[in-house]
Amino acid sequence: MKVHIYERLMAIQASRRGILKGAAGAGALTLGATSGLGALARHAVAQDNLRAEILKIPGVGMGSPTDADWQRVGEMCLGGTRETVEEGEFEGVQLTFMGLNNQNLHNFLFRGFLRPWEQYTGARIEWIDLAQADYNPRLQQSIATGTVDFDMLEMGAPFEGDTAGRGLLDEMPDWVKTLIDMDDYVDYLKEPVGTWDGKTYRISIDGDCHTLAFRTDYYGNEEFAQAWAEEGDGSPWESPTTWAQVNAHSRFLAGKTDPLTGLPAYGFLDPLKITWGGFGFYFLADRAAPYAKHPDDPAWLFDPETMKPRVNNPAFVRAIEEVMELVEAGAYPQDQLNADPNTTAFQQFLAGTGGMLTWWGDVGSNARTSDTSVVGDVVGFSTNPGADAVYNSQSGEWEQTANEAPNNAYIGWGIYVTNRVSDDEKKRKAAWSAAAHLGGKDLSLWTSAYPSGFQPYRKSHFNYDEWEAAGYDRDFIEDYLSSNRDSYNHPNAAIEPRIPGIFQYYSIAEDELAKIFSGQYGSVQEGADAIAEAWEGITDQIGRERQIELYKASLGM
Amino acid sequence: MDEATARAIESDDFVAPDPIPESRKRLGRMVFAVGTVVLVVTALARLLQELGSFDFGFVTWRPVLYAYIFWGIALGWSQVLRRGEDGKRALFVLPAALFVVAMVVFPLLFAVYVSFTDWNLSALGGPKFNGLANLRRMTSDPFYWNAMLNMVWYILAIIVEYAIAFGMALILHSQIRARKFFRVVFLLPLMLSPVALSWMVGKSMMEIRFGPLANLARWLGWDNPAFFSEPWLARSSIMVMDAWTFIPLMMIILLAGLQSLPKEVMEAAKVDGATPWQTFWKITFPLMLPVSITAVIIRVIFKLKLADIIINVTSGGPGGATDSITSFIFRVYRDRSNVGYGTLLAVVYLVIIVAFLLALLNLLSRWMRGYDQEVS
Repeated sequence: MKVHIYERLMAIQASRRGILKGAAGAGALTLGATSGLGALARHAVAQDNLRAEILKIPGVGMGSPTDADWQRVGEMCLGGTRETVEEGEFEGVQLTFMGLNNQNLHNFLFRGFLRPWEQYTGARIEWIDLAQADYNPRLQQSIATGTVDFDMLEMGAPFEGDTAGRGLLDEMPDWVKTLIDMDDYVDYLKEPVGTWDGKTYRISIDGDCHTLAFRTDYYGNEEFAQAWAEEGDGSPWESPTTWAQVNAHSRFLAGKTDPLTGLPAYGFLDPLKITWGGFGFYFLADRAAPYAKHPDDPAWLFDPETMKPRVNNPAFVRAIEEVMELVEAGAYPQDQLNADPNTTAFQQFLAGTGGMLTWWGDVGSNARTSDTSVVGDVVGFSTNPGADAVYNSQSGEWEQTANEAPNNAYIGWGIYVTNRVSDDEKKRKAAWSAAAHLGGKDLSLWTSAYPSGFQPYRKSHFNYDEWEAAGYDRDFIEDYLSSNRDSYNHPNAAIEPRIPGIFQYYSIAEDELAKIFSGQYGSVQEGADAIAEAWEGITDQIGRERQIELYKASLGM
Repeated sequence: MDEATARAIESDDFVAPDPIPESRKRLGRMVFAVGTVVLVVTALARLLQELGSFDFGFVTWRPVLYAYIFWGIALGWSQVLRRGEDGKRALFVLPAALFVVAMVVFPLLFAVYVSFTDWNLSALGGPKFNGLANLRRMTSDPFYWNAMLNMVWYILAIIVEYAIAFGMALILHSQIRARKFFRVVFLLPLMLSPVALSWMVGKSMMEIRFGPLANLARWLGWDNPAFFSEPWLARSSIMVMDAWTFIPLMMIILLAGLQSLPKEVMEAAKVDGATPWQTFWKITFPLMLPVSITAVIIRVIFKLKLADIIINVTSGGPGGATDSITSFIFRVYRDRSNVGYGTLLAVVYLVIIVAFLLALLNLLSRWMRGYDQEVS
């Protein structure tokens, strides 16, 4: 063991001992308690201290975390493993883990988090790193050709139909459920998400939703407010709550100067190079959901009885038309046709270009902690904008009523264990132990607070005091976290179906949307019809009856 | 050879192979037959199981591979038994030939089979034979024909690339200062991976906000240096990046050709008072035609495979303006898991490439014959 690591460990342990002593004393004095209650109190205080300690690594405003930080957090959060696994118990076990390497996150962090776990348990992990766009094909090919070569898998819930539906996953043991405290998950990540035929397969490590991130300095700018009063529609100069306002503000901002950078100001950043392995479709869905997701109807992408696509209904067409309206108004940054979602978030918005965008929670956690962000002090958050009308697919009529439908895009990443380990109890326990370590309650607080590719997904993540103590500005963190929490808990949230091949639908839609955005169709409706036709073809190819069955199941029908 | 001559040759003048006994030949035939039977039976049994007729307990196709290896060994052994020394010589070639059959012919046949199936990786049923449905779909697929049209433009760009490469080769062939240095420098782009090029040039240097090329363009008076937002501009940008990588390849081939030209002809032209243009057009260019054709054909083959730069920089956009057949197939196969249709597109593309190259070679050989006659 290296000296500095030893010293660090000693320092941590001393701190814990001190806290535990204090907790025991306090418990005895105030409660006159039984030893059981005393232990609980000690555990709670130690737990609180651990959460506070890990949030100091490396500290908000101290730059991006490094591998050393990830290892340190992994070591500090090893309590659950120590409780359930003997030291060296998995000696000789080799596991293969398949996951992503987006933005040098995901697997990069897992490696660091699991290194202390490997040292303690004796198991070794081999890594399969995939780019986001390569993930779906790699997974599908492994499944279809019977060459699943990984024991553990980082996977989104949309793929549960492809994996759990084919019996490729190992059911979660009960001790893992207790260890990771599944009750702490936000409600929308509980059953049926992560389960199949009543069996639980998933350890959530992420909760996904798109939220609106906007520049507070735009909306606090006197000049903009004055100009809006003169040129605008009479509404107050505030962050938008509907997509109509988003478009109005974007048209207004075109040609003005960004108060932070001095460069041209822009409004909303749609990723017009939408081809992104299927994931680009979510960004149109952000706009379409409040128009298309009627509160009385759980379905919004397909008719659940027939799998007839709704992507060419008036709601989706209106959403596409809104994008086209901004294209024609010249309201996007130059070269936006070549901007994919990574560009809009990391090269544009966080780098100071553009007034607002919808993205996953990474934008929030990166805004203050990433070295490349310049908007940390001038960014605000809300749930996705709503609509001033909603299309009722049952009646085929527009209803002129305000509607919100935050897009809980992708339902978050989870860790799954494949059935390759099912026959080897030692290996199986090792795989679930590693998965539980990654999905542990305390470690997840750290991943939701620092750049990791994951966002808050547990009720305990919404304890603002913890974030404030870690150095976050109270207003910022309340703003950011509440946008996530309100999206998860929204009664009309748009949740995608966990049906096989869902990304095939999205991918073909991206190709057609790219053509629509570049003006190759006579009308938006014509382009939307082409998407619908392609979707029908995919449904027929995969099997309509089975898709209907799974779609209904995913909607809880 | 008449009888008298044959008698005149002493028996120890050469080593005559030992006659191979009939029994050994019979054994050879038997070994081959056993190997063949094992292969055919194994393949048939696996096929019948695949078709659902019987269940022999196979889990994978691996037993067929083992049977193929066994058949290969039996084939080699039988060759030695039946043909003696000739058979031993055949052993030098057989492993390579069988390897090629295994790695090229079998997969190609399998690909042809897959291309006539309806096979989506997300469908539980696996591949289902669907006749010509994929072909019919291809004929009416606007994305495919759009990519095909783009390929025509990409191929035509080779004319310009060839002219530049020839010019550079001529420069490097002449007596210029630091010739060796420039030869190495001009070759550097070829050593770069197209993926690295995509990120270094397409995604960084041409990036509209901070890219040095964009800034240079702005300094030169271009207000909106968006290299990938207009269809023609995006296509041209892809062409330039691809050309930048592969012009050195053509250049080096042409330079090698120039260096092997007979000096006497050039000197004779000079003595006869030919101008530099006449020397080039009447002597250098015709003499370089065979090398030029080789360079162009190799370049066409590379161009037909163009995909990596497109996938990384534009994903085929804007609106399919930069899509190539290969990048389109990549999306169909990779993003949509549509194995049957994707394979059909690949097989058809292979046929088109072979037909195109044959036609091109044929045309060029006719043209060269006509050119030779004209010159003579």
